[in-house]
Amino acid sequence: MLAFPVLACLIGASAGAAFTFIPRIRYLPSRALGWLLAIAPTTAFIAIASQFPRVAAGEALTWRIPWLPALGVEFAFYLDGLSALFGLIITGIGALVLIYAGYYFTPKHADEKSEVGSRERASHAISTPDSTLLKTDAHFFLYVLLFMTSMLGLVLAGDVITLFLFWEGTSITSFLLIAYKTKDEEARSGAFKALFVTGGGGIALLAGLLFASAISGSTDLTAILRSGDALRNNAWYPVMLGLIAFGAFTKSAQAPFHFWLPKAMAAPTPASAYLHSATMVKAGIYLMARLHPALGNTPMWFWLLIVTGGATMLLGAIIGLRQSDLKGMLAYSTVSQLGALMMLIGEEAPSAFKALAIGVLAHALYKGALFMIAGIVDHETGTRDLRRLGNLWRLMPWTFLVCSIAALSMAGLPPLFGFLAKETLLAAELEDVLPRLTRIVLPAITVLTGALMLAQAASLTLDTFVTKPGTGWPASRLDPNDECSGHDLHAHEAPAGMLLGPAVLAALSLIITVFQPEIIVSLLAGAATAAYGAKVKVSLELFHGINSPLILSGIAITLGVVLFALRSPLRGIPAVPVLNINLIYDGVLRGLDRAADLVTRTQAGRIRIYLAVILTALFALVIAFGGLWRVFDSTLLPNLSRRLFDEPFSVQTALRAFGLLLAVAASFVSIIIRRDLLAIIALGSSGLAVAVVIALEPSPDVALVQAVVDTLTLVVLVLALSRLPRAQRARAEGLNGAGGSGRLRNALLAIAGGAMVTVLCLYAFASRPRTSLVTPYYEQNAKPLTGAADIVGAIVVDFRGFDTLIEITVFSMAGIGVFSLLRYAMKKRETAGLPAEGEIEPDLATLLQRPLPPTITGIDGVRTSPFIHALAYVVLPLAFVLAVVQMVYGHDQPGDGFTAGVTLSLGVGFWYVVFGYDETKCRLRFLRPGLLIGAGILTVMAGSIAPVFLGGGFFSPFDFGAALGLPLPKGFYISTSFLFEVAICLAVLGAAIFIIDTLGHPERDLE
Amino acid sequence: MEIIKSLSIGALFGIGLYQLLRRNVIRSAIGLVIISNAVNLFLLSIGAYDGVVEAYAKAVGQRSDALPQALILTAIVISLGGFAFVLALLYVIAARYRTGDSDEVKGLSH
Repeated sequence: MLAFPVLACLIGASAGAAFTFIPRIRYLPSRALGWLLAIAPTTAFIAIASQFPRVAAGEALTWRIPWLPALGVEFAFYLDGLSALFGLIITGIGALVLIYAGYYFTPKHADEKSEVGSRERASHAISTPDSTLLKTDAHFFLYVLLFMTSMLGLVLAGDVITLFLFWEGTSITSFLLIAYKTKDEEARSGAFKALFVTGGGGIALLAGLLFASAISGSTDLTAILRSGDALRNNAWYPVMLGLIAFGAFTKSAQAPFHFWLPKAMAAPTPASAYLHSATMVKAGIYLMARLHPALGNTPMWFWLLIVTGGATMLLGAIIGLRQSDLKGMLAYSTVSQLGALMMLIGEEAPSAFKALAIGVLAHALYKGALFMIAGIVDHETGTRDLRRLGNLWRLMPWTFLVCSIAALSMAGLPPLFGFLAKETLLAAELEDVLPRLTRIVLPAITVLTGALMLAQAASLTLDTFVTKPGTGWPASRLDPNDECSGHDLHAHEAPAGMLLGPAVLAALSLIITVFQPEIIVSLLAGAATAAYGAKVKVSLELFHGINSPLILSGIAITLGVVLFALRSPLRGIPAVPVLNINLIYDGVLRGLDRAADLVTRTQAGRIRIYLAVILTALFALVIAFGGLWRVFDSTLLPNLSRRLFDEPFSVQTALRAFGLLLAVAASFVSIIIRRDLLAIIALGSSGLAVAVVIALEPSPDVALVQAVVDTLTLVVLVLALSRLPRAQRARAEGLNGAGGSGRLRNALLAIAGGAMVTVLCLYAFASRPRTSLVTPYYEQNAKPLTGAADIVGAIVVDFRGFDTLIEITVFSMAGIGVFSLLRYAMKKRETAGLPAEGEIEPDLATLLQRPLPPTITGIDGVRTSPFIHALAYVVLPLAFVLAVVQMVYGHDQPGDGFTAGVTLSLGVGFWYVVFGYDETKCRLRFLRPGLLIGAGILTVMAGSIAPVFLGGGFFSPFDFGAALGLPLPKGFYISTSFLFEVAICLAVLGAAIFIIDTLGHPERDLE
Repeated sequence: MEIIKSLSIGALFGIGLYQLLRRNVIRSAIGLVIISNAVNLFLLSIGAYDGVVEAYAKAVGQRSDALPQALILTAIVISLGGFAFVLALLYVIAARYRTGDSDEVKGLSH
């Protein structure tokens, strides 16, 4: 039932944003763009207002879309009085701000381009319509509308994850808007500051919200609001509240995190009016008010919010008076007001929430208006410096009038709305539920704050419009160069459209209290009720007889007038050097930079250093967190040692030990031997020794694959070695004997790694399970289900067939990768015009026409003996026969498609070695690797899909031979497994030929 | 046996690491192969059953565990593909920097 308004709001705002991408709209004059895009928030405003009667009746509308059902997270929306109040403020002020921004971004005299209207304009001069997006101000409207979408989503969210999503959205759009003048260093640093502070708060908030949803069992807002007791009584309550409050405090600029807000004033003024006073900074207030029924009413909640809010309120007001920048003063008074609102949420009394609702609306109205006035003054005069401004009332009478009304509201004077806000605030602070001390302290600081507010409101109105420039400032703080500049401000009255926004807002401040419309009363009552969790009555009566709030208000007003009169000497008092948060922030950032610098020192630009660093870190992690010491637990150790000593001696055991020893010894030889070719051969023997160990496992299939793969590895390595130019090879070989500190470091690292792996193995062996759930299943079902006696083969081509399909695809990809990598490198060198002795790749046709050379030269141009030639002619056909046998009988005997493929490739590789590249290419033309890979993979596909049409499932075994009634020799089946074996063989052969072919390609031009 | 196995696998791994860290790129490639051998041996040895006969349906007696065998069968082939690709990369680097010495590959330093 909430679908309509939510969709209208979100789609409206984001569609408005999308419109800015349409060139015809983007390059409209800013004024027209502003009016046009204001339709979006207006629609949303109407959409929310249309639901108002039901909301006012106390109903909470919800709308849910499943999002992450497995986690119970929904894209949920929720509209009650509190959301409605914020939603209407966001959309209402949003519409006015868009219209206002249109004028703001139009130069003061659109036809006099030489005159610089405002500082914003200076860096964003309008250029020809066909220039880039950056040059138009459509960008600004886009960001504002995106912000509006996020902000609406935030206040309408009915799920904490949804809420968090939109919360971050507001932080990001705020960042974009503050940094809008991208060329301005201050704007950029201000934007980063805001992003770091609010973004950091956002992360804390997420953690806090996850706590809350974990405790209440749901991320749904209504569920969380219902489980208040569970939340408050949970042991994690302080942590949860701390995290959530951190998020809210950073967002709502509560001391000591307030420092980002004044810096955010680098944003264009429409954004400051909208985000940094009326809406976004109230997100924290909204969040705390929203969660008050669930988390509030505890001593921690009370003291946290009262102390933070109270301190922020006073601090903001004191610093504000000292500001000479119009926007700076407004920013600090916003901080102060946000503190007051936060303080009110802490208090457990209906009157506090009444004051909260009134305060939120009153502040949005007058502060929005004043920000826009500041923008107008800036736009018309080119400065926002109060020391230079003055005497403008004659030139800008209407602006002066609007400013005065809004300032009266800010000052808290009757009959404006601000007065009511202050009265209710004071009344709430005098409630009996408060501890006695706070009943004295809070009204006292509120009176002082109220007085300072009045002084500021008066200062920013009178010092701008009435007094002479420089009035109200001690001489020491005036810029001597600017002494007289105030006189030549060429100010004009702002256009009516620009005044519309502030005028409407200021007028509302007056209308609400004078006429006390019922609809506003019920809106405020609804908001206060939702935040308090119980019925709150709201009346907008200004006068309740002579009572304590009124008396205190009177004191505040009197004190304010005195402060205003004394503003010049007060501003002359040197600032108290309190701990400067900005300095801490800068220090933290610098520290981060230093740390990053230290970390990048490890990246010395040398591959081996990187590797060493990575490995060291990995070992450190495994040793620290891997729990390897548990090997020496009393429960695990006997497991091992008994097996060592109790094992009866057998030939098998002795052979295994021998195989292992051989493998280690051969690999060790590969280290100490100096010639690379011999090292490669040592590596080959090590691999064969491993094959022996595997064969003794006993597992003949794997041993076979290991043996052939090891041989192929050897061939590939030799080919690669031969491709490296001789001089390079010699130089690299010379390094093998080179010693130095690197050698020691490597040795230590290797020993550490080896020791770690040893311990890891011991741990794994000692604690491995002695039964398996899976293996017995395979053992029992291999023969009946797949007809294969070879269980390993059955697993590879049948039980885990899909796995194997992917595996051969990966292998084929590796082959193609090698091919494309080296072909590309070769092509590149060709085009680079490097000396090429021979043809890189002779055309096949020319190759065929060429007579055979008298002596066939093998790899590296070395002559090969006729005996070896004869052998090569025998080996390849033999390899074919072997491969076929392995495929045909593979499911009952050792051997399978892999072995077959690798065996074949070995035969082909032998040809490359014996006959050389060109000759082999010429003679074995049928070996087209791409074709083989394609055929292989397509065969698997066909073989696995075929059973689907024959009554089986995808990849289910099927015996085609038996189905067709073919008379086949014993032990030979034309089944899906057989097809699979053939396919594997083809694909492996294809990829291996790609590899051999590419690496065996003659390369004479490298040096 | 298990202790001997652990020591051997650790030794193979250490030797592989040492080779991997050397300046000569061919030696690095050799190191890679040795390490993958060590890992395959490790995987093979942590099967649940220490077999006496091979994993065939008709074999009588305690069969070796077929599951890790099937897994490393795949692993061996894949590591061959990966190894070939690494070689191609090494080759491209060697051609680009005209050296077989990994310390002379300076493209990463600034």
